[in-house]
Amino acid sequence: MAGRGRGRGGSNLSLTHDQLQALGIARGENTPQNVAPPPLFPKLEVKPLPLPSDAATDYMLIVKEQFIEYLHESPAYVRKEAESDGIERYSDKYKMLALNAKKDKVLDCVWANMPPELRPQAKKVRKAAAAAPKPKLSNAEAIAKRLQTLEKKEIQEGDEAMETNDNEETVKNQEVNDDEEVEDEHEEEFEIDDGTDYANNYFDNGEDYDEEDDNLDDGPVY
Amino acid sequence: MSHQMGRVVSAILERHFGEIVQKVGDDLFSYGGRPIGMLVRHTGLPRNQVVDSLRTLLKFDLATFEPYNEVVVDYKLLPENVLLMIRYPRYLLQMKSKYGSEAEMLVEELLQQATCTATTLLFNIATKFKDDKEKSITILGLKDMFISLVTAGYIQQAPVAELKEGSEIPTLIPVATIVPDLDSRALLQAMNNGHINDIKDNIYWRVNYDRFHLDFRDEIMIKAITRRIDENAGELMRFLLEKMYLTSAPWAPESSPLCAVELRERCRSAATDKPLLHQFVDQYLKVLEENGGGFVRRVGDAGSGQFAVRSRHAALQLVLCALEHCVTERLGSKAARIFRSSNLERLIVTGKVEGKTLRGRPIRWSNHISKELEKPMNVAMHEATEHDELIYTKKYIEEDDIQKNAMLVNKECKQLTYKLMEEHFISVQPMRKPASAGGLAKAIYLYHVKLHNVAYTGLEMCYRSLHNVLRRAAHERSAHARLVDKQRRVRTIVHGMRLRGEPQRNIDDVEETLTPPELAVLQGVEKRLKQLSTAELELDRNLFIFKWYFMYPYVE
Repeated sequence: MAGRGRGRGGSNLSLTHDQLQALGIARGENTPQNVAPPPLFPKLEVKPLPLPSDAATDYMLIVKEQFIEYLHESPAYVRKEAESDGIERYSDKYKMLALNAKKDKVLDCVWANMPPELRPQAKKVRKAAAAAPKPKLSNAEAIAKRLQTLEKKEIQEGDEAMETNDNEETVKNQEVNDDEEVEDEHEEEFEIDDGTDYANNYFDNGEDYDEEDDNLDDGPVY
Repeated sequence: MSHQMGRVVSAILERHFGEIVQKVGDDLFSYGGRPIGMLVRHTGLPRNQVVDSLRTLLKFDLATFEPYNEVVVDYKLLPENVLLMIRYPRYLLQMKSKYGSEAEMLVEELLQQATCTATTLLFNIATKFKDDKEKSITILGLKDMFISLVTAGYIQQAPVAELKEGSEIPTLIPVATIVPDLDSRALLQAMNNGHINDIKDNIYWRVNYDRFHLDFRDEIMIKAITRRIDENAGELMRFLLEKMYLTSAPWAPESSPLCAVELRERCRSAATDKPLLHQFVDQYLKVLEENGGGFVRRVGDAGSGQFAVRSRHAALQLVLCALEHCVTERLGSKAARIFRSSNLERLIVTGKVEGKTLRGRPIRWSNHISKELEKPMNVAMHEATEHDELIYTKKYIEEDDIQKNAMLVNKECKQLTYKLMEEHFISVQPMRKPASAGGLAKAIYLYHVKLHNVAYTGLEMCYRSLHNVLRRAAHERSAHARLVDKQRRVRTIVHGMRLRGEPQRNIDDVEETLTPPELAVLQGVEKRLKQLSTAELELDRNLFIFKWYFMYPYVE
């Protein structure tokens, strides 16, 4: 409160005459403010010192290039999944071959020093665990039940016999193959086609396939 | 752990391991420890790629992990180790110049493998150069070199995994290095058989960066002394450092006292190389003590003089030099003068007491110091040289005094001072006087250099330019990727044709697929990339000095 009215204007906002003088700015020297943003790449006022170029530096440069090249060739360099832009090219086959040759190599590590989830066998263990509950779903009872219903259906609607055959095939496939999407599609077809819910009982609802959920190591949610 | 550092780390990962590892590294850098599930969710990468990246990071010791509970593992990035990746060429150069090409090969292979058993290492190199008659590399020679490198501490044993009860997650425990006893006969037999399945070897080794850093430090100190005084003094510094390793910890801020008698003996044994040094040891010691930038300090007179090597002080001096150089190059020599005059600390630390005046400095400065300390000049100077810490608290300077000391025109001086302040080289401490009746509250502004903070500024500058260099090089590379690729292909084809002995005309035809303008562009790119790479190495040298300085805790 006491500060109000003293000095010129808000003392916090602009500098008083005395203060300006203390800063080394004399009257009339206050240059207008520059509104334009500074250039992105300002011009260098002084030319920088030259970098050393001797045998040692050359050696280091070569060694560095070699090292990086080695890393790029090694499996330590993690590559993206091969992307395609939807255009088939003659060279695709060779590119894929080259990529796959690099991809299949596993980084040579001391696995004992790694956490279990990073070890290569960890994947197999997980897959086995995921595969284990599958036979439960397709036990003898379920198959019998399903076959019964299919029989009924065949009698009821002769027209749709072809389609159900298809479905049956997928049933068989399901034991070996776990292509989720295809099955999901068929599942939907069932529901739309005849409105019964038997298919829902039968089909895996996807819980066991979800990679994310069967990991216990998701950690706490922060 | 600053933003700038994160950017450099990210760029280095990208350069060495590709975009995916970079993404994972970024995430780890910005969030600290993370379990794998979180990484998958946040980076949006497939799980197997995250796993691959983590493997890479762990393998090259760029990240660590620690169990969060029995099943979940937290991963942490080690940004300091990532920064070391640009120093690898320097390690190799060191090896090559000090121990020859065999040692270089060993270290190179070990750096590439990150961790490796001795047998595999030796076997791999020996098989690689089996057909190379010129170099005549034998597995036994390599073995001897390996053992001498382990003995010298350049290679150390990698930490060993230990399983705690009830947990599957290993804990890495560092182990003391024991010089290995490798069976020559088994190695030779393995070479004959062409595989190493018969040899059981489960001791893993890795490169000990710290040992290399000690070498670099010694080299810097010796070089500094050589440039400041002469080669004999540099040699003396080398002897001092040699002796230091015997009695004190290698990174000790100040070594335990070293006896001059021993040094003299050492000089006598080197008398044939450096006769002058042997002749004038005492004089050289005196000069080193007085004019050696405070690298060496006389701590006692017992046994004809005792000396201590001050690594911490050397780091401080070198950082100061680097910063001064920085100011000179960025803002000109006048700004550097202001920087120097606001940095009283330097004056007192390096100034010598000779009677009551400061040798080689204007007398005005010393008066100023005594005024500042409110003590008589000679007492102040004496105390100052006894313990530098005293000065750390009193190093403020008024604006007018800057002007006087830097001998600049008022306006220019102020402009440069503010410029320096803007770039965080000097800081200001306002001292408010109680408001006198009616008038404005007056304040005195005291300027000073907070060396620790300024060193951070320097470090950040290094990071920033390093990042710029890396980014620019990456841009340069990606912009001309197609051309470079073409050049490489032409080269391989030509090489193949030469091997097959095809006529020169055909080779020329292939070579001409690269048009002259393309060649010109390629040459430009090559030159620029080389320049950027060199800049990277040079920046790393600066970075090393800053890191050395920050190794010692800050004394207020």
